[in-house]
Amino acid sequence: MDTARITSGKSVNSIKPADLPAPPQAAIQIVHACSDDSTDSKKLARLAASDMVITAEVLRVANSPFFGYGYGKKIQSIPRAVTVMGQRTLRNLVLCIAVRDAIKQDSIPGFDINAYWEDSLRRAVCARLLGRDVRLDHDECFTAGLLQDFGLLVMFFLQPDKAAMWPEMRRKNPMSRYQMEKRVFGNTHDKVGRMLAKEWGLPAELGDAISNHHGADGDAPDETHTRLCRLAYCVDWMAAVFTADDKSETLTRCRDAITRTFGLAPGVVEKHLDNVPSLVEEAATALGLGVGNQLKFADVMQEANLKLASENLSYQELTRQLEVTLEERDRLAAELNREIALAQEIQKSLLPHPDTPGQYITGINLPARELSGDFYDFFTLPDGRMYFNLGDVSGKGINAALLMAKTSSLFRCLGKTVHSPGKLLQQINRELCETTTRGMFVAVTAGLYDPANGTVRLVNAGNPPALLIGRNGTHKAYKAESPPLGIDTDTAFPEYEFNLSDDGLYLFSDGITEGFIAKDETLGITGLLTLILEVGARPAQQRLAAIVDRIRRSPEPLRDDTTILLVEKPHDNGARTD
Amino acid sequence: MDYKIRTEGQYTVIALRGDVDLHHSPKAREQILKYLGEQCHVMVDLADVAYIDSSGIASLIEGFQLAKQHKLQFGLVGVSEPAMQVLKLARLDRVLPIHQTISGMAPVSIR
Repeated sequence: MDTARITSGKSVNSIKPADLPAPPQAAIQIVHACSDDSTDSKKLARLAASDMVITAEVLRVANSPFFGYGYGKKIQSIPRAVTVMGQRTLRNLVLCIAVRDAIKQDSIPGFDINAYWEDSLRRAVCARLLGRDVRLDHDECFTAGLLQDFGLLVMFFLQPDKAAMWPEMRRKNPMSRYQMEKRVFGNTHDKVGRMLAKEWGLPAELGDAISNHHGADGDAPDETHTRLCRLAYCVDWMAAVFTADDKSETLTRCRDAITRTFGLAPGVVEKHLDNVPSLVEEAATALGLGVGNQLKFADVMQEANLKLASENLSYQELTRQLEVTLEERDRLAAELNREIALAQEIQKSLLPHPDTPGQYITGINLPARELSGDFYDFFTLPDGRMYFNLGDVSGKGINAALLMAKTSSLFRCLGKTVHSPGKLLQQINRELCETTTRGMFVAVTAGLYDPANGTVRLVNAGNPPALLIGRNGTHKAYKAESPPLGIDTDTAFPEYEFNLSDDGLYLFSDGITEGFIAKDETLGITGLLTLILEVGARPAQQRLAAIVDRIRRSPEPLRDDTTILLVEKPHDNGARTD
Repeated sequence: MDYKIRTEGQYTVIALRGDVDLHHSPKAREQILKYLGEQCHVMVDLADVAYIDSSGIASLIEGFQLAKQHKLQFGLVGVSEPAMQVLKLARLDRVLPIHQTISGMAPVSIR
């Protein structure tokens, strides 16, 4: 029976019954008659006689070795076929022929229709094998298997421009293929099959298998559907074992589906799959369909095992690489820590030793990280005068520590010959301006104290004010008169000059005043003044420790290097007497 | 910290907002250097800066030094109270050009 192309490039998400391919009329009449219990063999013979082509084909197929309904004796007429096969089996056989002929061989240009029939035959053969195990009519299972994905062929028939997608679609497992159908056609083979089953008036059980063998997302149908329908789902996975790219995964899911649905013993699936290729060839011959060379199940297994082995191998390789990388990371981290510890040691050696405070000058430096950007230093000149300084390099970390080292070294070196803090800072500033990068700068407070007459000459370049605090609580602040060092070569560094007397001169970095003493509360200048007066009776070193501790004990992490220095005449017992 | 870029007259204005600290100042630095690298006159708007530390100040100083080298204009505008305190404390108000608004500034004449 001829089937003309009904439409070309028809959208498949709005298919109408008229768009569907029509089966050979005589065949479909025989199908309908067979489904009617009141039909007798004479009526069937009359119907068959109206189309001799179909009659001849039915008898040829029924007598083929694959179907072998004559049991050694050739069936020569339709009434004889009814007697030997039964109406239902005859109906199923006619349906196979009808569906085979519904779409002509060359009606979808660029589409390998033989490959489609090969896959359908594989589903049909699998269904027949599995049907026997689960006590279903295996001939009906065969027909269901042959028909279940006919909707896919119809979608390509309606949209032949999508033919190029077929090879890719064919290599997917049933679930992925279902999703791809949705993307490519906006429809799926089971939905189109449902329309077809209705339009062709197919028997209810076959209709259910064709229409419902997938759940909502291509998954298994639920238990409300017939066993034939649920078998069709399993058969999809069995057949795909031979065509899917990922044979290992498909085989696993095929076994899972069959065990879950029918609880068959392990090994049954593999035994059937082993028989599938030769049976497909026999069935193809019986139905007059051309199929290519069949992949043996042993080859499928080999491919699946290779895939598993390579996945396993790449997993092991990945784990090994990860281990090596982690070891390398740990090694580098340890190396870096060693380097930082060494730098820390060198940096500490640049600061006065904390356990041996000077007679007049004491300091504490608490870095926020391993390395400090703050520093302080003091040393005595041959004439007895004492140089002291407190510096704060912008930023933190290694780059700040390097600039700190440079600045404090320049101070110590040049300070031995330049006996004016203003001139000394001027020279250091010029040196730094020549070399600093990335806008880095150094705030420095520096002074020269003469214990012989109590005179202090002080320069504040960019640091918080130095505080001169009297025993009675009076205080005077020496604010920065110059910007930090390292910014502008022409900066001037004016000096303050005053007498230290019995007062304490406190120099500190902004880590002190901006240090947190509670959540969202910093110490501030006022807080520092109060704290100094509170701890005023303690020896100098303890006083500074108490101030730094106040910040260190805060629940907030230290956000800046914290440094404080005190210049003060020694008292008899090392502490203030009042 | 986040930032927004706008053009006002002859200036590219980089408006910083939030905390310009050690963690965030590299972002501010990147923008400042980017626009100076494109030969733009740059103003950094600090009106919405809640906190700025020395690393943030260093980014401004670097911009200032680079602009001077390339004969471009660079300055700060609408400086917030907390940022101004830091600048004044370190006497950087004597180094960095600080403006109330851009509209009140003299037109760019150098270059």
